[in-house]
Amino acid sequence: MIDLSEYFGRRLPAITGTSQLGAGILAVQQVDSRYQCQRCQQWLADTDQLPNGAWYCRQCLQLGRVTSQTKLYTIPEPNRFSPPESPLTWTGELSPDQQQAAESIRQHVQRGQNQLLWAVTGAGKTEIVYPALAWAVTQGWRIAWASPRVDVCLELAPRIRAAFAAVSQCLLYGEQPAPYQYSQLTVCTTHQLLRFEQAFDWIIVDEVDAFPLATSPLLQLAITRAEKPTGQHLYLTATPGEKLQRQIRQRTLVTTYLPLRYHGYLLPQLRVRLAWRWREHLRKGRLPRPLIRQLLAYLEKGQRFLLFVPHVRDLPEIMAELAHQDIRGGVSVHAADPERTGKVQALRDQKLSFLVTTTILERGVTFPNIAVVILGGDDAVFSTAALVQIAGRAGRSADFPDGEVTCYIQTQTRVVRRAQTMITRLNRQGKQRGGRRP
Amino acid sequence: MMRCVWCTRTFEPPVTLQDLLRWRPLPMPALCPSCQERFIPITGAHCPACGRQQATTIRCHDCERWGAEILTNHALFQYDAGMKAYMQQYKFQGDYALRKALQAPLYQALAQQRYDVLVPIPVDQHTWLTRGFNQVTGWLRDQPFQQVLRVKADHKSQPQSAKTRAERLVTPQPFMLDTAAAKIIVNQRVLLLDDVYTTGRTLRHAASQIYLGGAKAFTSLTLAR
Repeated sequence: MIDLSEYFGRRLPAITGTSQLGAGILAVQQVDSRYQCQRCQQWLADTDQLPNGAWYCRQCLQLGRVTSQTKLYTIPEPNRFSPPESPLTWTGELSPDQQQAAESIRQHVQRGQNQLLWAVTGAGKTEIVYPALAWAVTQGWRIAWASPRVDVCLELAPRIRAAFAAVSQCLLYGEQPAPYQYSQLTVCTTHQLLRFEQAFDWIIVDEVDAFPLATSPLLQLAITRAEKPTGQHLYLTATPGEKLQRQIRQRTLVTTYLPLRYHGYLLPQLRVRLAWRWREHLRKGRLPRPLIRQLLAYLEKGQRFLLFVPHVRDLPEIMAELAHQDIRGGVSVHAADPERTGKVQALRDQKLSFLVTTTILERGVTFPNIAVVILGGDDAVFSTAALVQIAGRAGRSADFPDGEVTCYIQTQTRVVRRAQTMITRLNRQGKQRGGRRP
Repeated sequence: MMRCVWCTRTFEPPVTLQDLLRWRPLPMPALCPSCQERFIPITGAHCPACGRQQATTIRCHDCERWGAEILTNHALFQYDAGMKAYMQQYKFQGDYALRKALQAPLYQALAQQRYDVLVPIPVDQHTWLTRGFNQVTGWLRDQPFQQVLRVKADHKSQPQSAKTRAERLVTPQPFMLDTAAAKIIVNQRVLLLDDVYTTGRTLRHAASQIYLGGAKAFTSLTLAR
């Protein structure tokens, strides 16, 4: 006997019990002269054939290989939930601005509209969605809260678990140890949505502009397919990309807008400083003088800081040079670092005085009183969105709303200017709502 | 512009002046430089029996423990985190396209070996059905090989990689000689090819069958140690 609820609204290969699951479809099917994966909808290369004759999909390999000999099974989503009457167990309070945004989102959800919440970094996006989410839960909807970043999911899941204590929930991501459980609220990475089909009445996509979702047609399709034909979605972002901004301008996407942080202070602006040929100098073991002076001053004040650099391979050289200049008490951290979470926590616990990092810490992390320095902000890895997000790490707490953000660049680029323009524009709108300078 | 078969990022293959002067087709690496760096080749001193990287050229502790069951194995790469990640995706997730990543170094290594018959370690029937390929022959381009060994039908198919060292060492003989192919190896120099040398149990089982078949000499080559 297999647990049929595992197949509700999903599209999975089966090992046993296939008699109860109906006919199923072949996971890789021939369409004209090409082969297409029925799980991720991508086309196979004409070299992706195994010696035993089967074709296999490389695009969604990480979810377990499917071949032209695998069958995928699904059971249409039955929405078999028993939601509590008042599901919201969160006791916090929304500011008047947040409340206004929350109300607007709830109304659009009730009208069944796809929508976008554009709220600045540190506006409290998650909490703003709670009232609408509570309403959706009472309707018996199946809801997914998906994000392209696993750190965001990991940080989010316990908060939502506490805020909706009586609602069945599960968390899904790549290296997940716990087994899948059919539940009303699913917090997952966007990759995991590939395993679903017409399952969700509402999909909330957190950090919609983040890598890899923004550049991956595969993941964008996953969202569409995981949504019921009658379903809707809500995008959350602080930095919408070009395409979303165009949709906002053309008014084809309903947008709720919150240009002010929850504590009512304006965003810190990027301060740009020139660092001529810093990378060539770094090869010779030198860092820009102004940078060193600034970091030494931070250390003296006891001000903790984040130093963002473009690439992982820059980290060892920069760490060596910092140590040489007697800037100690911090470590470097990058995506593949096994001690990543521990190091981030150590900075939060004030056990470290700084972190040198790549774009992995650009979003989803909060340190109370932190200064932000970017070395090489004109490098191609820093997009406008990334720069605004990085600047958004500063001044997030109500006790320390003033944070310095310095960006060292070799040449002024359009990307850096756009980031400054975006912050200026958000602050202008924030001021109209009564935002204060810290 | 090429696409790395492992990380799928595009890269410019490095072309040296030597490549140009040689006046042959340019090398077409399957891996980008940063993925290439994840494989650490075994160079310099190594154990003469199992091929592991070490400071001296005397037999290592593990090989001493095998006593008289002597083997001459060469290994191309260290079995470290990078190689494990590769094997995980290639063998266990079944990403057959990754075979291309190591075809070139294996081609070079085989060209330096002296042998008459190349015998890859076979996979059992169950693995063939689920994985769909033999991971060892996947690395061969068009070098001729003979599937002289077969996995016995009654052999329990718990993979070696799922066992502890003690469990591996007591594994019974899993191989038998293919009756038709057995003639091929009589009085020949045989080179066995396998993916990873861990305890040496599998290779020694294979070696004893090859000797029974009448081979004159026997060496082995593994991708990793």
